[in-house]
Amino acid sequence: MSVTSNVDLRPIALLEAIRSEGKSWDVIAPQYGVTNPDPPWKTSLVAMCECLAISGAVPTLDRRRAEDELAQAVYNDVPAPERQLLALVHTMLRRGLVMEGDLADRMRSVRSRLEAA
Amino acid sequence: MKRTKAPHARKSAGNAPARFKVGDRVRVKDLPNMFYSRTQMYARGVSGTIAACTYQDLIPEDEAFNQEGRLEQYYIVRFRQKDLWEEYPSEKDTLQTEFPDRWLEPA
Amino acid sequence: MQTTHQHAGGGHEHKAAPTVEEITDFEVLEIAVRELAIEHGLFTAEDHRRFTEWAESIGPAAGSRLVAKAWTDPAFKARLLADGTAACKEIGIDWAEPTGFGTPSDYMNFRVLEDTPTLHHVIVCTLCSCYPRPLLGMSPEWYRSTNYRRRLVRWPREVLAEFGLILPPEVEIRVEDSNQKCRFMVLPVRPSGTENWTEEQLAAIVTRDCMIGVALPRPGRTADVHPVHKARHPVHSSPSMRAAE
Repeated sequence: MSVTSNVDLRPIALLEAIRSEGKSWDVIAPQYGVTNPDPPWKTSLVAMCECLAISGAVPTLDRRRAEDELAQAVYNDVPAPERQLLALVHTMLRRGLVMEGDLADRMRSVRSRLEAA
Repeated sequence: MKRTKAPHARKSAGNAPARFKVGDRVRVKDLPNMFYSRTQMYARGVSGTIAACTYQDLIPEDEAFNQEGRLEQYYIVRFRQKDLWEEYPSEKDTLQTEFPDRWLEPA
Repeated sequence: MQTTHQHAGGGHEHKAAPTVEEITDFEVLEIAVRELAIEHGLFTAEDHRRFTEWAESIGPAAGSRLVAKAWTDPAFKARLLADGTAACKEIGIDWAEPTGFGTPSDYMNFRVLEDTPTLHHVIVCTLCSCYPRPLLGMSPEWYRSTNYRRRLVRWPREVLAEFGLILPPEVEIRVEDSNQKCRFMVLPVRPSGTENWTEEQLAAIVTRDCMIGVALPRPGRTADVHPVHKARHPVHSSPSMRAAE
């Protein structure tokens, strides 16, 4: 393991808000009687990781090293795959690939879209 | 998408000679880390045996920086666990892992 | 993996499969970051769609079929050991998918590790949890944990014991740390009591854990069972901590 951190480990407000809601799949799926072990967005997340690796935006080793550190330091009480999602987004935000404000705005419009459907 | 050729397709590139063959004794060098080294700390300075020649490819350090880099042979090296870890209790157990040519030297 | 289909017990009504009715922030976050990434040119929607389809297509059944075929067909087994990637094509698995040159995590250099009565293999990736996904699907969380990755290379017999696998000292345990582009799978020893079994019967006892090397196949064992831990264990707990998360 490298001596210096691979990613800025300071918590990010937007992600902390999501985490504190506690709506991980292992909690909500049983509430609805759904026995699928994975949330429906898991494969999309996997695909996103591969695409980011191919484009070089977030190489696999970088992403996994950041994920290991973030899992230990910041998201250690979040179950997989939510932990993997938060770690990826955290990494992308710290790299400046997306901006926290833009992401918050987009989340609001995505939610409106999904709730209207 | 970045169009790099798969190592499978590079098998007979013939770019660099393989310095080692199956059965050779080799030692893992302890080169200074350049960010993305995949050579584990536990293996550095340890001697093992070439178990297999796998493929030829860009060394990871070059590929990570997206350069037209050097092609070289990769090998699976087998170690006795007793040589990797202090006080490993079993004589029989082994560990094998993969290295590019430049990380190895004759033991 | 699609939503499960559950039937009302004994009734004539065909209930719709249960779905999670609420839209979680995690679901919204995944969509939002993906849309922004595409808009910023980090990848295309087309590439993402192709990888999503690929991710949905993979699972451990392919690996089970591969092992069962190797157990029943010696010529196939020889081809598998000589060139794992090519042999996979015989069972319909193409390591070149979905790009034509594989994925940036799985590559195209697949090798099978053949167990014998005196040699047992177990697979790990200490660096990042590389895994033969075209044959086994997504890696389990315990395999991805730093707990497993750090401890298996150093104390393999202890970690295997935590999975319930204890091997006698005369059996060599060989850890394969897949730190480069090769991807590995264990070809376990065919257990006794399976004489004259069909490939389908054999495949049913070759579970994912058997192909990673933390379990041995045997008649009647058709599922991997792990204790489910809700709490996260910090990596720097005592060495006696269980390997499974």
